[in-house]
Amino acid sequence: MDKLISTLKLDVGYGKEPVVSDVNIEVSPGEILAIIGANGAGKSTILKTIVRQLKKLDGEIRICELNEASLSEEDMAKKISMVLTERIHPELMTCFDVVATGRYPYTGRLGILSADDIKAVNEAIHTVGADEVANKDFSKVSDGQRQRIMLARAICQDTDIMILDEPTSFLDIQYKLDILSVIRHLAKEKGKAVIMTIHELEFVPALADKVVAVADKKVYKIGTPEEIFTGETLEKLYAMKPGTGTQITEGLLAYSKCLPLEGKVPNGRMRC
Amino acid sequence: MNSCRNRYSLLFIIMCIILAGCFCLGLAVGSADISVIEVIKILFTSAQTGSGKIIISIRLPRIIAAIILGGALSVSGYLLQIFFGNPIAGPYVLGISSGAKLFVALSMVFLLGKGIVINSLVMVIAAFIGSIIAMAIVMALAGKVKNMSLLVVCGVMIGYICSAITEFVITFADDSNIVNLHNWSLGSFSGISWDYVWVSLIIVVLAVLISFFMSKPIGAYQMGEAYARNMGVNIKLLRGILILLSSILSATVTAFAGPISFVGIAVPHIMRGVMKTAKPIIMIPACFLGGAIITLLCDCVARTAFAPTEVSISSVTAIFLAPVVIYILVSRRMNHG
Repeated sequence: MDKLISTLKLDVGYGKEPVVSDVNIEVSPGEILAIIGANGAGKSTILKTIVRQLKKLDGEIRICELNEASLSEEDMAKKISMVLTERIHPELMTCFDVVATGRYPYTGRLGILSADDIKAVNEAIHTVGADEVANKDFSKVSDGQRQRIMLARAICQDTDIMILDEPTSFLDIQYKLDILSVIRHLAKEKGKAVIMTIHELEFVPALADKVVAVADKKVYKIGTPEEIFTGETLEKLYAMKPGTGTQITEGLLAYSKCLPLEGKVPNGRMRC
Repeated sequence: MNSCRNRYSLLFIIMCIILAGCFCLGLAVGSADISVIEVIKILFTSAQTGSGKIIISIRLPRIIAAIILGGALSVSGYLLQIFFGNPIAGPYVLGISSGAKLFVALSMVFLLGKGIVINSLVMVIAAFIGSIIAMAIVMALAGKVKNMSLLVVCGVMIGYICSAITEFVITFADDSNIVNLHNWSLGSFSGISWDYVWVSLIIVVLAVLISFFMSKPIGAYQMGEAYARNMGVNIKLLRGILILLSSILSATVTAFAGPISFVGIAVPHIMRGVMKTAKPIIMIPACFLGGAIITLLCDCVARTAFAPTEVSISSVTAIFLAPVVIYILVSRRMNHG
């Protein structure tokens, strides 16, 4: 199987008016695709359409070479997992319980976890390095731990495709690096196809294989980080003053080179 | 994991024992003085003495009705709370019970006026239609007012309107059958016959079982719509089923016992505290048992507190459970600023 997920002339948006039109992207196993763009450019709208939160306005989404429209909700649940920006407020659930909801597509009628499910949940928690908080109340752990737990939830859903909407926003630098290392690990060692949005451009060159730059209601440019990170592109994307883009790009690339994103599993840190 | 399971099992066993205790207590207390030992003798020999008749044809159906309908009400409230994603929901405070009450009263007056004696199934159907209409109004309002507390205020107002119309209907109808309606319209288990018990048993057992087997998608829905959909849950279908089941349950209660206040909203909250979980697979049976126990106890108080005069069950549940509701409202306000 060549492409795990691709879109053809996809138009996305709320209601009738497209927010972004003519999106053509494709992601192979082991590839990380980062979508960048200004606030409100429609990055999340693209992701929400892929996970069926929003109806696509036009075009086609293909998953494992199949038209997405032909897949049932249950099929989709086994193909695509996701982490959203919206906070969840589950009552009286431990972090383990929250991660375990990722096993939903695999459990029986009553949703009781089998020994294998429990193993998968524990492994996922270990992968993100959140072992210490597994039995704590989800609503009482820090934002950073919560984000790890949501990522673990997506991991134990055991899908080939992962959709991550700003997985690093509002976290401190070390949490950001941890989360991104896990994402690298998932793609490079587990062969998952990852589509994610991200605001922290300084991580993108070290993280992503492909970058999609969204501006002016369309995909402005698709390419490798080296192709995208030019002064001219940044100026266009974020409506910067002429000249500032080049300066920022140089800084970004230099910073990114220093990042230890090898795709290794981070050691669990006790921070709650 | 195992310690949790043991804890749940222990709590369920304790609740069953309490329920059995309340059952015996309910049979023994009342205006006629019958001792517990005598009650047990009557149950096992079904003696046709005077006390035997009181036990078998008056107290027993009443107690069983309180168990079934109390449980039903609590599960109905739990399902509504899941639907609205909010613990301040229940069939009484949202005016759904009152909608059911109005329709039962209207259909009774209408059919009795034509000389037709209404049977239990027709009452449930009328109550169900009333519930669904009240629910539709509440849901239309929910689309406009996003604030749950405000929605509850609207629900209470709907309840007042429905109750007022019911009172008009009852007051102007002078048929002797309808005069009894007054007690019922305030909420009461008195005069429940075996016929009612069987009908409600069948409906409630079915609806609660279906809810129980829906606990997996309900659990997913608690994670929010977006994640639930990503897990493969058909959201529209689930929401429809939640509304249908909770309406059927609260309609059955209202048809036979009138509107009973605050059980639907307060018991699920108490049970979350007792069980220390929100998992539907635990909560649905726990709500049923808890609702049964609390309603049965309140009914005992209603019968005996001012014996031989009976108080309406709603007055008793209000005294015990309205403070719980106030507590929920206040503590939520503090948590969310």
